[in-house]
Amino acid sequence: MLLSHGSLGWKLKSSLYVITGVIAAFLALPIFFIMALSFGSSQWLVFPPPSWTLKWYERFFDNPQWIESAWTSLQVASLTSIIATLLAIPASFALVRGKFRGRDYLYTFFTLPMVVPVVIIAVAVYGTFLNLGLTGTLFAFVTSHVIIALPFAIISIINSLRLFDKSIEDAAVICGAHRIQAILKVTFPVIKPGVISAALFSFLVSWDEVVISVMMASPNLQTLPVKMWSTLRQDLTPVIAVASTLLILLSLFIMIIASFVRKQSNHR
Amino acid sequence: MSLQTNSMTQSPLVCLRELNKEYGKFTAVDHINLDIKKGEFLTFLGSSGSGKSTTLSMIAGFETPTSGEILLNDASLIHIPSHKRGIGMVFQHYSLFPHMTVRDNIGFPLDIRKVAKDERDQKVDEILKLVQLEAFADRRPSMLSGGQKQRVAIARALVYEPEILLMDEPLGALDKKLREELQDELRLLHKRLGITIVYVTHDQDEAMRLSERIAIFKEGEIVGLGTGKDLYRKPPNAFVASFLGNSNFLKVSVTGSASAMLNKQHIEVENVHEVPIDQKAVLMIRPENLHILTPEQAEKEPLMAGFNQLSGTVNESVFLGESLTCSITIPSGEKVVSKNIATEQPDLAPGSTVFIRWNSKLSSLYSKWEQSDINKNAA
Ligand SMILES: Nc1ncnc2c1ncn2[C@@H]1O[C@H](COP(=O)(O)OP(=O)(O)OP(=O)(O)O)[C@@H](O)[C@H]1O
Ligand SMILES: [Mg+2]
Repeated sequence: MLLSHGSLGWKLKSSLYVITGVIAAFLALPIFFIMALSFGSSQWLVFPPPSWTLKWYERFFDNPQWIESAWTSLQVASLTSIIATLLAIPASFALVRGKFRGRDYLYTFFTLPMVVPVVIIAVAVYGTFLNLGLTGTLFAFVTSHVIIALPFAIISIINSLRLFDKSIEDAAVICGAHRIQAILKVTFPVIKPGVISAALFSFLVSWDEVVISVMMASPNLQTLPVKMWSTLRQDLTPVIAVASTLLILLSLFIMIIASFVRKQSNHR
Repeated sequence: MSLQTNSMTQSPLVCLRELNKEYGKFTAVDHINLDIKKGEFLTFLGSSGSGKSTTLSMIAGFETPTSGEILLNDASLIHIPSHKRGIGMVFQHYSLFPHMTVRDNIGFPLDIRKVAKDERDQKVDEILKLVQLEAFADRRPSMLSGGQKQRVAIARALVYEPEILLMDEPLGALDKKLREELQDELRLLHKRLGITIVYVTHDQDEAMRLSERIAIFKEGEIVGLGTGKDLYRKPPNAFVASFLGNSNFLKVSVTGSASAMLNKQHIEVENVHEVPIDQKAVLMIRPENLHILTPEQAEKEPLMAGFNQLSGTVNESVFLGESLTCSITIPSGEKVVSKNIATEQPDLAPGSTVFIRWNSKLSSLYSKWEQSDINKNAA
């Protein structure tokens, strides 16, 4: 590297630390803020909180609507994660190994939901499900979330499949394993970190999705972000801070697992 | 599969018949015919892109031939999938299973075959001993050196006792010293086990060192097949002559069944390829078969029957320890290079006049050649 850490003067070095710290704080402060507020006693989200309390947490867990929406979120995200990953595996194999015309266009096509504005997808999906009379169903939630999660899952698996030396799989085949057996016993264990991060990222995409979910939601089926959004429109209560905190904690937890998986795969 | 049917007869283990592989309009392997004998060490030698790996992949079943036939013990392999061919293969980059220990890597083919645990463990132990890796049995491949990895790969390919072992540049990723060590091990292993090995390399020293026969590949064709010695001493064509070792090429025109004209001088030639009279040809002489004499020496020693002599001027001579190379311009203006044992050579100053002699039996005559063949003159 041109700028190695050691060759920088202390002035430059310390100012770099300061800048990094400011940016990190800028990114993390809202999260700390909202977490602190969830424990604050003020009804009006006064900061700093006059005193600390767990009553908003009680409110959250006592309200079946919150619990139900959290449960729905968990269900939708898990199903999205499983389905997107299961679809991404064969798609990635085809996109990496396949020899057919238009393969690269197909790749672009598969990753399109990542660049198309979510609102457009949301409107399209809403229109479709409205026609089918399926809005407000778990099926509609999961299907529409899979659409936007799939690109992330595919990219994650494709990356690890591209790094995988196919001759390892060939070695298993010439050793007597059927191609499918070789993929199961050799290829999958090696690309497992990629598959796991595909599942984790699909989960996250669904977990904090709000634009599509708002359109899919019905009064008796909504995800946590949708419930937060609709509550927010009525009144500003610290229970939202609680919901946010729980949302963040689960995301954080998944990010930690993902980085752990990545670290393990780098070790090999 | 009837694998054992013909092991007693002389029929070859593997036959390639008019084997052809095309990628679109590009012909990677061009109607190859080859018999691989049981128990032999055969090497595919050729420059990059000459179709060696493609041929090997077709034998292994990873590539499907465009046309042609592959026979193993007289039975067609074409429609048999790779995993049922019972072939062993070692890849250039080891291709070990990174998530398994050395022991499990080697045991994998046996596990797939559902071999009973006792027998499996016993076989794995035996082969670990054979490749001297007992101490590393419980390590992961990432904790092995390159040479150790390749030994594991060889062990994994041998453990199920395949009739034939394919090796695609197995030592290509190793440094020179380790490569030579493993070459020796491999040669011993082949002798000991009597297994048929088909080996791919583009290193001619390696090919010479290891193989009983060499098939020389050029642009998807086999242009030379035989023992290293025969191919070197009597190359079947100008390409093989220039590809294997160093060579001098001189332009001549044929004047008789054993004579030719080289720049207004009659010389004797060995015309095994029966080049017709009056045809232009190239004469190939290996540098070590060109003897250099000072004018005094030439006067003292009479020219023996079957030998030719030309005069020349020394350009430069280089002392290489055990040998001495000397570049000489002959009257036609062509340059030749000689290489002789240093102790037998007089000191030759640049510009001095010398005579060169060679045994016509140790030269080869070709009526067909490409400029690229003779451009790679010994210098
Ligand atoms: N899948 C493929 N598609 C198109 N062309 C290919 C493919 N595989 C090989 N070729 C071409 O076929 C030719 C022969 O390739 P091959 O790998 O057999 O060469 P090789 O003799 O093994 O060379 P090297 O010493 O570099 O390994 C090369 O020109 C290569 O570009
Ligand atoms: Mg090759």
